[in-house]
This record gives sequence, structure tokens and C-alpha cells, in this order.
Amino acid sequence: MKGQKFLRVADKQDVARGKTLCVDVDGREVLLCHTAEGFFAVDNLCTHAGARLCEGKLKGHRILCPLHGAAFDVRDGNALTRPASVALDTWSVRVDDDGISLLLIVSADD
Amino acid sequence: MMSEKSNRPGEARASGPTVADSLASDHLAPPSPLLESCYEFLGDADISFARYTSTTFFQQEMQTLWPRAWQWACREEHVPDVGDTYVYDIGPYSIIVVRSTEDTIQAFLNSCTHRGTRILAGEGSGYSPAFTCPFHGWSWELDGAIRNIPGRWDFPHVCPDTHGLQRVHCERWGGFVFINMDLQAKPLLDYLDVLPEHFKHFPLERRRIRLHVQKKLPCNWKAAQEAFMEAYHNFETHDSPNGGNAQYDIFGKYVSRFIHNIGNYSPQSLDDYPGDKWRRPPMSEDDLLAFLGAYGIEYGRVPEGETARPLVAEALRKYFGETLGIDMSQVSECLMLDSIEYHLFPNMFFFPGINIPMAYRFRPNGEDVDSSIFDLLILEPLAEGAEHPEPPEPVPLEVEQSYTEVDGISWLGPVYDEDTGNLAMQTQGFKTSRKPGLTLGNYQEARIRRVHMTLDEFMSGAGSKE
Repeated sequence: MKGQKFLRVADKQDVARGKTLCVDVDGREVLLCHTAEGFFAVDNLCTHAGARLCEGKLKGHRILCPLHGAAFDVRDGNALTRPASVALDTWSVRVDDDGISLLLIVSADD
Repeated sequence: MMSEKSNRPGEARASGPTVADSLASDHLAPPSPLLESCYEFLGDADISFARYTSTTFFQQEMQTLWPRAWQWACREEHVPDVGDTYVYDIGPYSIIVVRSTEDTIQAFLNSCTHRGTRILAGEGSGYSPAFTCPFHGWSWELDGAIRNIPGRWDFPHVCPDTHGLQRVHCERWGGFVFINMDLQAKPLLDYLDVLPEHFKHFPLERRRIRLHVQKKLPCNWKAAQEAFMEAYHNFETHDSPNGGNAQYDIFGKYVSRFIHNIGNYSPQSLDDYPGDKWRRPPMSEDDLLAFLGAYGIEYGRVPEGETARPLVAEALRKYFGETLGIDMSQVSECLMLDSIEYHLFPNMFFFPGINIPMAYRFRPNGEDVDSSIFDLLILEPLAEGAEHPEPPEPVPLEVEQSYTEVDGISWLGPVYDEDTGNLAMQTQGFKTSRKPGLTLGNYQEARIRRVHMTLDEFMSGAGSKE
């Protein structure tokens, strides 16, 4: 049986507007991105050559890979420029008084 | 028909008061450069349509104009931090602008020195702590020096002097970053003519991009920009009375200007225009005050014995002063209201005004002679001490899309639709015409002729060289 649950991963003040934060979720690196449109979460590894996007830069709603400059839209994970062509995985984000939480798929016994 | 006032070509002017007369009667005098006038007759021969439609001419521009002309690639605030990049594409060429140290902005050809691959794919702003080619992984530091060559043992013939990134001239003015691919080009300052002196009075570096719209246009890049180089079209294209008496200045090979008034107009300047509109009867001062409605500002009637222009200016001083957090109380009517447009060869426009605060750039769309890209920036004054915010992403518009789809463009949306709405038909007319070229007015369209004259210098191999 699979279910869904929100997992708190950071405090709101940990990610200033225009900045990112890499968090570990069950051994996987997830990048929290604070844009003018709110918080978004994407895979931290570029789908092209696996560079860590937390070492790149968030501009507007685009995260830029530090290795070849590929851009992804953090709102839906889509690859915007080559050499990347495969979208990043994304997570639903909830922000409330408890902080920033990601919606995760879990097995029923978790 | 030649005016009775003059027998020499280029000396005739519209009837009635001039822009200079209008500025002289304003309550607050404008900065001195706006009181200058500088015109010379440049000829009256037709301009061949082939300059707009011929692929041969277009390819020659690609060889002799774009690789040798100064052109702005981006604003400084596009590259605020070390590693920030901006890719500027022009025709077949691509340039990387990068802030390589806190105080240094450099530019390179966007091409690997191994087998030539474009290094950064996307156009516009980006970030790279170093440059890495996606083909074989050659990499360079931000200053263009070789960083790493995988399998270095196989390239004993490659050295730092020959295989660093290929440098492009890069200079700054008015908050814009300019590039020139020609290593023999004269310095930007020599090319800017009067601009540095004039814009001391209206520093563009203290502006921020409020809106950036990037629209594809169905015409040659020159036809596109020429739709914006005169106010003669205002009557027919915009159904507007302003522009019949606009002032046109040619400051040199590279820089020209027009000024047309807003908040007043000259009925006499339209004396041979069709119909009676705006002449019999002329617009009332109350009608002119209605311009404030474009900003949602409530307006009443113009008191007896007064005119609308100073009242419109005063209302906008208050409106922009409050909106931008800047004291506008001493800003002249001219700067506050008028359309003041400087052109820098080959394809750039700067507006120092507050009501009309734009910068334009027109360039070929790739290698298509019949297609161009119009970058429209609304450059809002920045409050004293305020830092430049992150610039907005460009809003892309395809040929068939309307400017009114752009959030925040307000009353300007329909105006730009009107300006760009003629271009496909004009291009078709170029190709249909038996008459081999377009005819220009001696005064009102002299700026267009000046651009073609300077273009000819580039095409003949002269141009921007020292």
C-alpha cells in the first residue's frame, strides 16, 4: 500500500527570496527554490550530466546548472535550454507555520 | 509641394509653433541639450527597397555591419554577481557577456576553441562559475583562460595564448553593456557622439527595467526600426495630432534625435492634412487634459486662461513622484511629458523622458532577411540610494500576438500594436512595387537617411574602425 504525507524539511527563514537550499530527503537531494511566485522543489541533480544545481543560481523562476549553463523552470521542472532535455523531478510544497514541507509518497507502514 | 517659406531643400518646416517654441513657454526649462537643434539636409534620393529585401544585401550586413558595430547586449543589472552571464545573439553570431570579477565585465565569442561548438545554449541571463563545452568538456575560467582539457596529452599543440576563449570588446555606458566583435573597433566613447554629454542630465544607469518585451516582427530589421524614427506617422497610424511639428536632430554619423510634444499640439502643423480633424475645431485644452486618464488620474477642467500642458506635467510629477519615491517637483515639462528619442547606430534607441522612458533594440531574427526582433525595455527611474532589483525576464511575443497581452504595459499596448501593425504590409509593398525605392521627407525622415548613409560606410569597409 502506498500513501502520501507531508514531510517538514526546512524553516521558511532558511530560504531567502531568490535563494535555494539543498535538503536531504531519505538520501535524495532536493532543491528548495524561493521565487517571487513562492516556494518550489526540484531534484538537485541536473538531468544532463548530474551536476549539483545548488552550486548554480536561481534567476527568476529558472535554476541554472553550474556546469553547462542549462536552465530549468523550477515551477514544473521543464528543461528550458540544451544541453539538458529531460525535466527535473518536482515535489509539491506546503508552506505554513511549521515551515516548508514536501509531499512524499510513502508505503503504508512508514 | 515646397513651402513658400523656403526654396532650399530641407529648410521647410510645418506651419505654426515649433517644439522649441513650446519648450520656451514651459514653466520649467529643460536641461540644455534639449534646447539644442542640429539638422542638416542629407539629400533626397530614394532608398532602394533591395536594402530591405535582398538576401545578398542582408548577408553583406552580416559580414560588414554586425561584426563591426557597437551594440548593447544587456544591462549591467543582468550580470550583478561574479559568474553571471548574458548570451546575446545577433544574426549567426553569439556572444557571452560575463562578470568575471566584481569590477570586470568581459565578453567572448560563444564558441569552443576546440571544434567550435556553441558553449552556452540559451539566450539571455544565466550563470556559470566556469565555462564548459558540452561536446568534449573543454573548460575555461571566467576570464577566458583555459581551465581544463580532458586528455591533455593529445593536444601538445594547444596553448593558453591560442585557445583561450575568443575575446570581444566590451564597454559600458548608461548602465548598458556594449559589445563589439571587431578587435580594431574604435572605443565606444568615440562612437557615442553627443550621448555622454547629453545623458549626464538624465543618467540611464539610475534606471531599472520595469518591463522587457521581446516581439518578433514580420519585416527586415531596418524597416522595423524606421517605423519608430519619425512622428510623421502619428496622424495616420495612431490617430493622434501630436507629431506634425516634431523636431529632428542629426548629431553625427551615429546619433540622431526627435522630440515631439505631449500635452499640447499644433493645429497649424496639420494644415494640409486630410479632413478637418483637430483643426476645425481644434482640440480644447480640456480635451488635452484627458491624457491623464491613461494613468487613471482624475481630471477636471482647465481653468480659464490656463493651458493643459503644465497641468498634465504637474499631475504626472505627483503621480510618478509618489509611485517611484523620487522628488519630481523640478522636472521640466519636456522631460516629464514629451517623447524624446535618441537613436544610436545601427539599432538602438534611448528615451530620457519620464512619461516615455524606453529603450529599444531592433535586430535580425537569426538569418532571416524578412524577420526581426524588437526588444522593448521600460526603464523606470530608480530612487536615490536604491539598488537595482533583479531584472524581469523578457516577455516573448510572436508576430501574431498583441502587446495588449503583456501585463503592466498599460496604455502603451495598443500604441505598439499600431506601430508594428503596418510592417507586414510594408514588406509586401516593397516586393510589389515597380518604383524601385522608398521616398523620404527631407526633414521629418532625415534620421532614416542618416542611418543608411552610415550603413553604407560599414558596407564599403569603413565604418567604426579607428
